[in-house]
Amino acid sequence: MPRKGCLGCSFPVIILVVVILLALFVIGFLSGPLGKSMFGDLGLPFGTERPIPSLPAETAFELFGFPIANSVVGAWITIIILVVFSYLVTRRMKIIPGRLQGLFESLLGWLYNFCKNVAGEENGRRFFPVVATIFLFVAFNAWLSLIPGFGSIEIINPEGHHIHLIRGANTDINMPLALALASFCFVEFFGLKTLGIRYLSKFLNVGQFFRSLGQIFKGKVKAGLSGLITGAIMIIVGILETLSEFVRIVSFTFRLFGNMTAGEILLLIAIFLIPWLFALPFYGLELLVGFVQALIFAGLTLVFLTLATAHH
Amino acid sequence: MDPGTMKLLAVGLAASLGLMGPALAIGLIGFSALQGIARNPEASGPIMTNMILVTAFAEAIGIYALIIAIILAMIV
Repeated sequence: MPRKGCLGCSFPVIILVVVILLALFVIGFLSGPLGKSMFGDLGLPFGTERPIPSLPAETAFELFGFPIANSVVGAWITIIILVVFSYLVTRRMKIIPGRLQGLFESLLGWLYNFCKNVAGEENGRRFFPVVATIFLFVAFNAWLSLIPGFGSIEIINPEGHHIHLIRGANTDINMPLALALASFCFVEFFGLKTLGIRYLSKFLNVGQFFRSLGQIFKGKVKAGLSGLITGAIMIIVGILETLSEFVRIVSFTFRLFGNMTAGEILLLIAIFLIPWLFALPFYGLELLVGFVQALIFAGLTLVFLTLATAHH
Repeated sequence: MDPGTMKLLAVGLAASLGLMGPALAIGLIGFSALQGIARNPEASGPIMTNMILVTAFAEAIGIYALIIAIILAMIV
């Protein structure tokens, strides 16, 4: 009579599962480079070759004479999956949702609450499309690059090298750069639209300087001089604000690119060192990191949008 | 010292020295966040959100150091 063990399975099942996992681990260990250096080459064919990461994305094929990189193929797959899911969910919308519609409603509702918590009621509604697009695109790019097929299908590209056909879009530095530029443009656009041309007075802060010059000419020398020094400091603060706007682009790009590339290289090296089982905890880490990086990109965009449209 | 040895030394130093700062920073952020939650357990929602936000900034610096180490090790 099988007794109740842990996780609802009986004890013999658990012992069987543990033995199988240990066997897989030992076989993987013996066929990887660690086992080969410790016990000699046992002739097990399960090892992989040493990963050679190349940071710039390679050309996959040519389309009408235009070279298409393999990370662009990955981005296309993400777009197709997102569009297909959106179409399926909104095809026959019901007041009491079915399962797929309920899943997407809960996801978008959570994002909408997040926007409203950070940006307030009506600003949250205005910024929600931008933030949700960035979040969904980055998250699905990161998660879909864990599916088998991304980074395993090899073809020979028009230049004659052996390259992988599909690569996660976040690991090419151009995609985070494009998203960072888009986020920058949206921040400036919403700031100018809300505050008008006075939004630029945050960067060209010369009002105090000229006011104190006027004070000196009208005769109030002491107040004018102290105001002059404050005005000079305010001009420097304006220059620093402009600089920080542009440094934001660099920081966004390298944060997303660095996390995704480091995760991919970590997975490749984990699979190379001990095949088959050692990479599973790192898969979990990659899932978490993909979600957190998407949330951080979208959340920081939301914070900068809120700061740009804040009335003084 | 030949260039190969120097390159290995550079990779090790870049990774280890560059990652000390962000580790310390994230520890300090967690310290202050936990102090805030201990004083005021009802504000734990906003405190956690802000803690994750600032941790992202600190983590990005560590990722810059990691990128430099990877470029040194595998491409140079």
